Amino acid sequence: MSSVIKSELEKLNKKELFEIATLRKISIPNNWSKSLIVELLALNVSIDNIPKIKPVPLIHRIKTDSAPIIVIKDLAKKFEDITAIENLNLEIIEGELFSLLGPNGAGKTTTINILNGIMKPTKGTISIAGFDVTKNLDAIKKIIGLCPQEAAVFKFLNARENIELFGKLHSVSKEELEERTDNLLELLGLTEASKRKAGGYSGGMLRKLNLIIGLISDPKIVFLDEPTVGMDARARRKTWEFIGSLKEKKKTIILTTHYIEEAEALSDRVGIIDYGKLIELGTPKELMKRHATKNLEEVFLKITGRRIMEEI
Amino acid sequence: MKYQVLVALVKMELKKFIRQPANLFLNLLFPAVLTIVFLFAFSDPEMGMDINSVVPGLIVYAVIFLIMTIAQSFSSERQEGLLKRLNTTPMTSAEFMGSQIITHMMISIVQVIVVLMLAYFLGFRPQSGIEGILLSLPVVAIFALSSVGLGLITATISKTPEAATGISFIFILPMMFFGTFIPITSTTQQIASFIPSYYLVDALKLIFEGDWMNTNILLDLAVISIFSILVVLFGIILFKKYGSR
Repeated sequence: MSSVIKSELEKLNKKELFEIATLRKISIPNNWSKSLIVELLALNVSIDNIPKIKPVPLIHRIKTDSAPIIVIKDLAKKFEDITAIENLNLEIIEGELFSLLGPNGAGKTTTINILNGIMKPTKGTISIAGFDVTKNLDAIKKIIGLCPQEAAVFKFLNARENIELFGKLHSVSKEELEERTDNLLELLGLTEASKRKAGGYSGGMLRKLNLIIGLISDPKIVFLDEPTVGMDARARRKTWEFIGSLKEKKKTIILTTHYIEEAEALSDRVGIIDYGKLIELGTPKELMKRHATKNLEEVFLKITGRRIMEEI
Repeated sequence: MKYQVLVALVKMELKKFIRQPANLFLNLLFPAVLTIVFLFAFSDPEMGMDINSVVPGLIVYAVIFLIMTIAQSFSSERQEGLLKRLNTTPMTSAEFMGSQIITHMMISIVQVIVVLMLAYFLGFRPQSGIEGILLSLPVVAIFALSSVGLGLITATISKTPEAATGISFIFILPMMFFGTFIPITSTTQQIASFIPSYYLVDALKLIFEGDWMNTNILLDLAVISIFSILVVLFGIILFKKYGSR
C-alpha cells in the first residue's frame, strides 16, 4: 500500500481509525497502539486474515567466527503481576548491529535497561564482554554507551558542556574529549548550536545531543534506544547514516526502533520481541524469506499480529 | 574517588544553581529580602530582640530552604531520566553524593556571606568580630549536610518535582517556626529542643557574642554534627535504594 495512504491515516485520531477499520470490516483489538493500527490499515489486512503461522525454531546464534560479546540466558523480569520479559535467550556477536524490534510495551526498553544495569533481572544471567551484569557492573560501565529513549540531557548546560561532563565521568582525557566533541558535533550538525543552552533546542537537536553523549566515551558496545524518535525526516536520515558509520568502526550496536525500514537496511540481525518473548530472530533476509514477505515491516506485522490474535 | 569526576560534577551543580533563576531567587534573593524585612520588623529591643539575635535565625532560614531546591532538583532529574543515565557511567555513588555535599556546603557559605553583608549594612556588629564570622561558616556548612539529607529524603518520597516542593515543607516549617528567631515560649522551647536548627541558632548566637568557651557551644555543635551526618547518610541510603530510579 502506498506511503501516501499511510501518511493520511497518521493524521487521524484513534477513534477515526477504528471507524475506518469497522467500515472495512477489520477487527482490531482495543489495546492496539495508533501506529500499529495505521500500519495494519495501510496494509489493508485484517488480523483475522493473517494465517496462523507455525512457530519457527529460533536461531539463537549467528554462524560467524566472532565471539559473542553479550550472552543472555533465561532472562526474566517481572513487575509485580506483569511479566515484562520471559525466558529470553540471546547472543550478540562482537561488531554486529542488532536490532530489537517490537510493539510499544513489548519489553525492548526493559531489556536494554537490564543490559545497562539500570534494572535488575528477576531471573537469568547476562554476560557482557565476559563480565556478569549483576556482579561486575563497574567494569561493564567502562565499555558501554547508552542513548536512552528520553532525551536525558542537562537543559541548563549547552551541548558542549553536556558532552564534556559525560566525557569526564568516563575519564576521557582533555585532548581526546575536545577532539571527539568537535567531531561528533560536526558529524551530527550541532556545531553551530553547541554553545546554546540545551533547554532551547528542538526535539530533533536534543535527540542528536542525546546520541552524542552516549558515544563520547568511544564505547565498545552502544545501546541505542529509539535514537531517532521525534526527528524530522532529514535529521533522521542523517542520524541513520551516522549509525551506519558506527558499524564500520566495529562497534557492537544494540538498537531498538519503530522505523523498521531503517532497521532492515542497517541491521546484521533482528530480534522481534512481543509480550516479553523473543518471537523471531535472524538476519532481515532470513526473516523475509521465512515469512514470504517483501520487507521486514510485513514480517513484523505478521508475527506481532499473530501473537495478539492468539491471545484474544 | 576520582578528583576529575568530582570537580566535573561540582561544576555542573554550581552551573545548575547559577543558571536557574528559581534557585537564585529562593536561595539568595529570598534570604536577602527576608534579612532586610525581618531586621526592620523584629530587631526591636522592646520585643526582647535586637539585630544581633535576629541574624542567626536569618542564616538558618536561608539554609533550610536548600531542602526544597535539592528535593526539586533530584526529582526532576529522575523524571527526565538523567539519574538513570548518570548511573550507567563509571561515576560512583560516592562521587555523585560527594559533589552534592560539596556544592551545597559552598552555597550555604555564600548564603551566610550574603545575609551577613546585608545585616552589616543594617547595623549588625557581632562582638566576636571577624573571627566569629569566619567560625560561623564551617558550622553552617556542616548544618547544610542535613539539608542535603532531608532533600534526598523528600525526593525519595516525592514522585514529581511539584510534590517535592510541597513535601519539603514537612521539614522546613517546623525548623522555620521552632528553630529560628521567632520568640520561644516555655512550651515551644520544649518542642524546639527536638528541632536541629534551634541548636544552630543557639551556636551562632554564642559564636557572634564571642562566647566561644561556653560549653553550650560544644553541645550545640555535637547535636548539629551528629544530626547532619546521620540525616545525610540516611538520605543517601534511602535515595539510592528507592529514589534514584
